[in-house]
Amino acid sequence: MLLTLADGVLAQRPTPAPPQVRSVLVRGATVHVGDGRVIDDGAVGFRNGIIDHVGFEYGVKARYDTVIQLNGAHIYPGLILADATLGLQEVDQVRATADADETGELEPEVRAYAAFNVDSRIIPTVRANGVLLAQATPRGGLVSGTSSVMQLDAWDREGAVVRMDDGVHVEWPRAYVREGWWAEPGGTSTAKDEERRRDIDRLRTLFMNAKAYRADAGAVDLRLAGLQPVLNGSATLYVHADVAREIQEAVLFAREMGVRRLVIVGGHDAWRVSDLLRDNKVDVILQRVHGLPLREDEDIDIVYRQPALLKERGIRFCLGYTGGMERMGSRNLPFTAGTAAAYGLEREAALQAMTLDAARILGIDQRYGSLEVGKSATLVVSTGDLLDMRGNNVTHAFIDGRSIVLDDHQKALYRQYARRYGH
Amino acid sequence: MRTLRYLLAAALLTASTARAQENVPVNGPHGTARPVHAFIHATLHPAPGEVLRDATLLVQDERVVGVGTRLKVPAGAVVHDVAGLHIWPGLVDPYGSVGVPAKAPKEQAGGTGYWNRAVHGTTRADELYTHNTALNAKLREQGITTVITHRPDGIVRGSGCAVLLADRAVNLDVLQPRSSAHFSFNKGSSPEEYPSSLMGSIALLRQTLHDARWYAGQGSRAQSDADLEGVNALLGLPLVFESSERNDIGRIARIGREFGLRFTVRGTGDEYARLADVVAAGTPLILPLTMPEAYDVEDPFAALEVTLAELKHWELAPVNAARLDSAGVPFAFTLHGLKEPADAWPALRRMVLAGLDTASAIAALTTRPAAFFGLSERVGALREGMLANFLITSGHLLEQGNQVHETWVAGRRFAHKPYGEEDVVGVFDLNLRSVILRMEVSGRARPEAEVYRPAADTVRVKARFVRDDQLVTLEFDGRRLGFDGPVRLNGIVHDRGGIWDGQGQLPGGEWIAWSAVRQAVRSKEKEGSGDRVLDSLYRAPVGAVWYPLTAFGGPALPDTEVVVFRHATVWTNGPQGILRDADVCISGGRIVGVGERIDLATLFPGRTRPEVIEVNATGKHLTCGIIDEHSHLGIARGVNEGGQAVSAEVRIGDVTDPDHVGLYRDLAGGVTAVQQLHGSANPIGGQSALIKLRWGLGAEALHIDGAPGFIKFALGENVKQSNWPNDGSRFPQTRMGVEQVMYDAFHRARAYGAAWDRTAPRPEPKPDRKGRRRPAPTPAAELPRRDLELDALVEVLEGKRYISCHSYVQGEIAMLMDVADSMGFTVNTFTHVLEGYKVAPKLKAHGAGASTFSDWWAYKMEVGDAIPYNAALLWREGVTTCLNSDDAEMSRRLNQEAAKAVKYGGVPPEEAWKMVTLNPARLLHLDQRMGSVEVGKDADLVLWSADPLSIDAKCEMTFVDGVRYYDAVRHKAWTREVVRERERLVARMLAAKKAGAPVRKPQRKDERNWECESLGERP
Repeated sequence: MLLTLADGVLAQRPTPAPPQVRSVLVRGATVHVGDGRVIDDGAVGFRNGIIDHVGFEYGVKARYDTVIQLNGAHIYPGLILADATLGLQEVDQVRATADADETGELEPEVRAYAAFNVDSRIIPTVRANGVLLAQATPRGGLVSGTSSVMQLDAWDREGAVVRMDDGVHVEWPRAYVREGWWAEPGGTSTAKDEERRRDIDRLRTLFMNAKAYRADAGAVDLRLAGLQPVLNGSATLYVHADVAREIQEAVLFAREMGVRRLVIVGGHDAWRVSDLLRDNKVDVILQRVHGLPLREDEDIDIVYRQPALLKERGIRFCLGYTGGMERMGSRNLPFTAGTAAAYGLEREAALQAMTLDAARILGIDQRYGSLEVGKSATLVVSTGDLLDMRGNNVTHAFIDGRSIVLDDHQKALYRQYARRYGH
Repeated sequence: MRTLRYLLAAALLTASTARAQENVPVNGPHGTARPVHAFIHATLHPAPGEVLRDATLLVQDERVVGVGTRLKVPAGAVVHDVAGLHIWPGLVDPYGSVGVPAKAPKEQAGGTGYWNRAVHGTTRADELYTHNTALNAKLREQGITTVITHRPDGIVRGSGCAVLLADRAVNLDVLQPRSSAHFSFNKGSSPEEYPSSLMGSIALLRQTLHDARWYAGQGSRAQSDADLEGVNALLGLPLVFESSERNDIGRIARIGREFGLRFTVRGTGDEYARLADVVAAGTPLILPLTMPEAYDVEDPFAALEVTLAELKHWELAPVNAARLDSAGVPFAFTLHGLKEPADAWPALRRMVLAGLDTASAIAALTTRPAAFFGLSERVGALREGMLANFLITSGHLLEQGNQVHETWVAGRRFAHKPYGEEDVVGVFDLNLRSVILRMEVSGRARPEAEVYRPAADTVRVKARFVRDDQLVTLEFDGRRLGFDGPVRLNGIVHDRGGIWDGQGQLPGGEWIAWSAVRQAVRSKEKEGSGDRVLDSLYRAPVGAVWYPLTAFGGPALPDTEVVVFRHATVWTNGPQGILRDADVCISGGRIVGVGERIDLATLFPGRTRPEVIEVNATGKHLTCGIIDEHSHLGIARGVNEGGQAVSAEVRIGDVTDPDHVGLYRDLAGGVTAVQQLHGSANPIGGQSALIKLRWGLGAEALHIDGAPGFIKFALGENVKQSNWPNDGSRFPQTRMGVEQVMYDAFHRARAYGAAWDRTAPRPEPKPDRKGRRRPAPTPAAELPRRDLELDALVEVLEGKRYISCHSYVQGEIAMLMDVADSMGFTVNTFTHVLEGYKVAPKLKAHGAGASTFSDWWAYKMEVGDAIPYNAALLWREGVTTCLNSDDAEMSRRLNQEAAKAVKYGGVPPEEAWKMVTLNPARLLHLDQRMGSVEVGKDADLVLWSADPLSIDAKCEMTFVDGVRYYDAVRHKAWTREVVRERERLVARMLAAKKAGAPVRKPQRKDERNWECESLGERP
């Protein structure tokens, strides 16, 4: 009866965890630091939400109130999902739940923070596979809006926000227009090219106006004000672009506008223009690794290999999960890293692309992204390899030292029916 | 030589050469003279491959009255000396719409028409035809004298007519009022939703043809239908079918076989890519004279957007006709589809440079098209008694620079470019009273003149030069040549162009006499050098055709191999379970040995042991191929026929696309077979195709022989159109309505089946592979109407066709099982079935299987309770459970999806693996042949680098029927080959551009990868 009641509660949402009171040592595990290092037979200790021990497990046990003894499990930094709409829409086909894509073309002022739903039913299912932070990101238009980085266990948005308004997102006009379709391609349309040039001009005008804008000079212009953080360097300009020419244009545009920090999102061809990106210190939030090649002739596993290609070329990148089924599917983020590892990326580098490098790209690496003394105790424990479907079995997760509930309504339904059938 | 005065491109008509329309009054004197026109000293080509030199052609009225070398010119004949010129039979264009409105009128057609407005059975081009004099003139300038024209609108387009482009009264010019019947897969201007896909178009045409048969019998007693009557009349004519891609030819031929009809197909020019299939289809072709333009590939990034398929097609398109010709496929050429009719000649020349026999080329413009439409006695050649349709040209028809001087249609003369005109090219002394300048005239086709001082030709002034026959005018700015302003001259050309003289006016108004005397015939011909480079470029050998014609296709198809895998971990899926360090041997497309140590001498006794390839599989895993129960891969032009609530008549098997690169990508993911499913837009969708991924083979060869029939059903939000932008109006809009659609369909099917049982055994709905049908014992006239939709549903009732039903919530799943139970059939598979876990015991009791997603949910309202533990719960309840993709990307990672059944709910790995292999084989009733690694089963095998359920697993080899369709090592070589081939073609394209070939800008082509919910696509 009690269990049934608990399931009833879980059909809503798990209770957010209270702040850490008792210090915790997790030991007897392989510690994956997130920066490439691995500590066998290691331990991680933390109090008041901050890590105060990472290393061998000997001789520190006594200093902690609670000791979690693991037997060959793995400890990882909490995974970070970049370029996500988690919390901004609940059900794809129910318009009433759609809060990711504002109408209008040039809307830097709209903020994901305003809409982020901490009570999304999807969030617990994603967390359960190790994803503990997400960049809530607006979509659509030419300038989609302003993202914020959120942690995924909170009573309210104030409690969830990790970095508010971390950047503005631009959808770079597509370099190639679709005409007809692959079986019956149509002709090239110069009108569309003109449309594209016009769109780039609109972006240019907006940014020029924003550069000239002085808040104290008169009436408030929300659009121009919304761009100030990327122009003064306190926020990042995220440009969503895939093909080489779009990326080239985006880099030149950012340079022309004096944008200090540019990140390319998508980046299908980023490896092809790696020199340009490296010279301009541009990082990449890579498209979903479980994707299809953009072009028929490209090697069939090119998308699986892109992380390795970027790594070889010295480009910093992290992994996104943008596209169809992006919210409910983002619990597969670790497996996309696993695939990247199977296709040439070193395994710890694959992890780093969801942890430390993601934190660096989103500007939260002072506190998140790796298991280091002084950083937030945001970590997950898995009995096996987190990046493999069968190894991914998260038994503990902590955000800022808080031990979060890993149950969700799907597990509750499972238990309910397993009991019904006497399994 | 000069006998007549020319007016460019205008007809000079004397009453005598025009046959008057007999029953029409004449205003003015009746011209009664009937002079013979004699063309003498001609190089005459009476028919392809025949040449008569110094020949005479005699024409009277609209007919040829003599062709030969020693003909006497009758007294009183009008003599045309055409020495040095060629005479050819007038060209016949077998396909066009000249003079006929492109579309049916918008307003609702009245009368007793067919229910679907894409069927235009009563349309007659001869009733619609009017002379489009501008277009007729353009066509005549290229030598076209006869066109088969029709209204290119709809699936059944009515009859075409053969017209002469003589611009006389239409009654005279229509040569054959009903020359042909026309068809396509494009519904055209029809405002109806149905059909919205290619497969729907095919089904509609088949149903129409069945209805026409029925109408010819008892149908006409039941109702009137002018269109069906029209269709029956059409079927006696030569049948022309417009295709829009090469794979349509097989589709058209299949319809032809089903109904005993022979279609001539209007092709697309890439038939070489499936030459063997085109030969097998046996359809004559009408080929367009379009040539793909080169791409601008100087920017290497932009060039990425040009696919290898396009690059190869650019190179191979010119060889198409030659290869069809060698293969014995009869074809004719049409100018239809060209931007300018004159573009036909460069295209033809490219074909000839690429090896097309010139006689075949000429035949394809003359005798061939005439023969297609039974016009050989009248047009297409120059024989006594045939129509006087011919053209006079400066040279050989296919020679560069050839000019058509005159076209005669039915004895009527149309002059385009005077022959025997003096050549004015050369360098002249230009005497302007006291001043002597020099003038250079160049360019034979469009002469241009430049004037300069004899001493220093650094200052050259371009002159405005106009020539009208023998009269010339010349105007130039004299300021840099010693005059104060413009110099204007008028004069006459004499002496074969060598002397011009006349009067002119100098700046200041003074009149002078002037003359120009040719000093040299030299002229710098601007055209030529680029063309020569292009010619040699086009003459160079071309690359091999790849099967399919896309990246990762191969120049030859791999054969079956005899392979023994040694020391593998073998996931048998059979009673043996997982064997460690075991061997598997395949031969002749089958698994012939599975065991610890296979002794080849025992397996292949005697001397007959074939060459066996040994694969050391130590540390590797060998499994049977993955079967994707729910896929929309490789489906051409529409996955949903959503125009009606019930579309059981449409067949995915009609529209399998064998060229989609996704098939190869799937092979690289260890997939060997898929069910190509109709979408989920309507409650009763279309029939599935079960295919094996035999990459490189044609569409029909992908279909699994002897596979049972399947049909897609769907429930819930999609079929009630919940997620459409606007409120829908099609019944049903609720789950209540869906249930009644099901009952209605099956009650109708039951009654239909009974009606057939009363009269005659229902004919086998599928013709066998050779197209033979069992003759029905009852006379056709007495049979009930064949209904393709109900045929499929009767098969469901009879247990001969299985349902795969898209479903989500438990109530709708139970509903369909209740419908099935009450109508006496079983639902074979519920697909998606995300709330299957809630009704697992019911599924088990009913006997239905489940094919679900590993972890999808939250994409619509009805998947709110979807859980990743669904598969585990269903499996534990004893339901045959599969994991499927419904997605072109996930399809190649189904091994990962299977692993999630272990993660979510703890299914044992072996059982999880069966969810993507043996269980789909069971649900598809293919488990006798597929789904496990056991002796006697199809050699559909995958070698994995690691445990297939691990994230590290990569597919190293994929065999289908013992053929190695994917090999990771070979793939690396192929990838390099793709790059090499691209670079070779890019270099060639750059050279072509440099030599002056027109280019277009590269553009991105988005692949179409269907999901259940993809709606209509123009067919």
